[in-house]
Amino acid sequence: MSMRIVPAGDHATTYTHHLRTPGAPSAPGLYDTLRNGIGSRLKAWEATQDAVRMESLRKTFGVAEPIRRGMELKTVRDGAWRPLALGGGVGGSSSVHEDILRGRESHIDWEDVFTGEEQTAGGVIGIHDEMERKLKI
Amino acid sequence: MPGFDFSNYNRNAALHARGVPLPKATSTGTTIVGCIYDGGVVIAADTRATSGPIVADKNCEKLHYIAPQIWCAGAGTAADTEFTTALISSQLELHSLSTGRKPRVVTCMTLLKQHLFRYQGHIGAYLVVAGVDPTGVHLFTVHAHGSTDKLPYVTMGSGSLAAMSVFETQWKPTLTQQDAMKLCSEAIQAGIFNDLGSGSNVDVAVITPDKTTLHRGYVKPNERSQKLKNYKFARGTTAVLNEKIITKDEIGKYVSVQTVEGEQMEVDS
Repeated sequence: MSMRIVPAGDHATTYTHHLRTPGAPSAPGLYDTLRNGIGSRLKAWEATQDAVRMESLRKTFGVAEPIRRGMELKTVRDGAWRPLALGGGVGGSSSVHEDILRGRESHIDWEDVFTGEEQTAGGVIGIHDEMERKLKI
Repeated sequence: MPGFDFSNYNRNAALHARGVPLPKATSTGTTIVGCIYDGGVVIAADTRATSGPIVADKNCEKLHYIAPQIWCAGAGTAADTEFTTALISSQLELHSLSTGRKPRVVTCMTLLKQHLFRYQGHIGAYLVVAGVDPTGVHLFTVHAHGSTDKLPYVTMGSGSLAAMSVFETQWKPTLTQQDAMKLCSEAIQAGIFNDLGSGSNVDVAVITPDKTTLHRGYVKPNERSQKLKNYKFARGTTAVLNEKIITKDEIGKYVSVQTVEGEQMEVDS
């Protein structure tokens, strides 16, 4: 396991005249930083941070510590459910218990402000429909 | 997808393939400065907002609140500086509630640089962070890529070179509050007059251990002068040929509204 604190870049370490990744649309020969750099970096950010935290815990306390934390997190994640009408979602930013276990209860980020549900806010399904669907009634 | 959404990337690539030109990068213009004096810190900013060659706002506000004793001046993409400072302000408040202590300027600076480093400069926020906390007076700059500086006097933005020249010639290790305010406003005015991206007025914020004072429009070197001519006609220029007065009856004569007691409308979402 590595102690990497930021996600690995997908930069090529060797040079070829074939681009490994799609180039920038305005300049096809050039490396596209927006597409290949920041997108994948943001996607892997939290996972990398979690991995390094768990790895350092393992080195300090032994393997039992990250396993225990992983189990607690899974229990909380499975137990957390909020109706869609109240913001919804399993785990994620909506679960305060999960936030506490991950040490993020006093954090706020772009993901908390722009939840990705701005578009669907008008046509949210009611609690009855959701329960019927959930319990297959 | 929460947070930043890259889904328009494919649409833009498809549009570009059909010959729609991509937008050009725009350069942003601002002058912001900060200066420590004996017992506090002063930050100042110009008030011009540009979008390319167009002045979008002649009196915008570039000094942002973070905590009562921590303020921030922002250059770069206006929306990014605005949102980033608001986000860090919330985060710092949550952090100070969680620890039960007053927020520190270094905490704010670290939160900002970690946040900006994560986005690799795609969030275009160039900030001057200043404040007073239990550990003393602090002044930092934070660049969009996450690098930071700690100096007794700092400048940022496209007018930073003009402003820095004022500091380099006139700054002294011991300054009073009045001296610092004067020095900062002169540095901003150097930016206003020598940098095309900066203009209009000077905003100054003075942070002391007791209170923060925001001087909006501290110096107004570009007051718009009175127009030489005006095109208002004096009253009575046009003759009144005839006059007819129509009076309407009160609508209460025909309609009355009564509230029915005890029969609340059922409201269901």
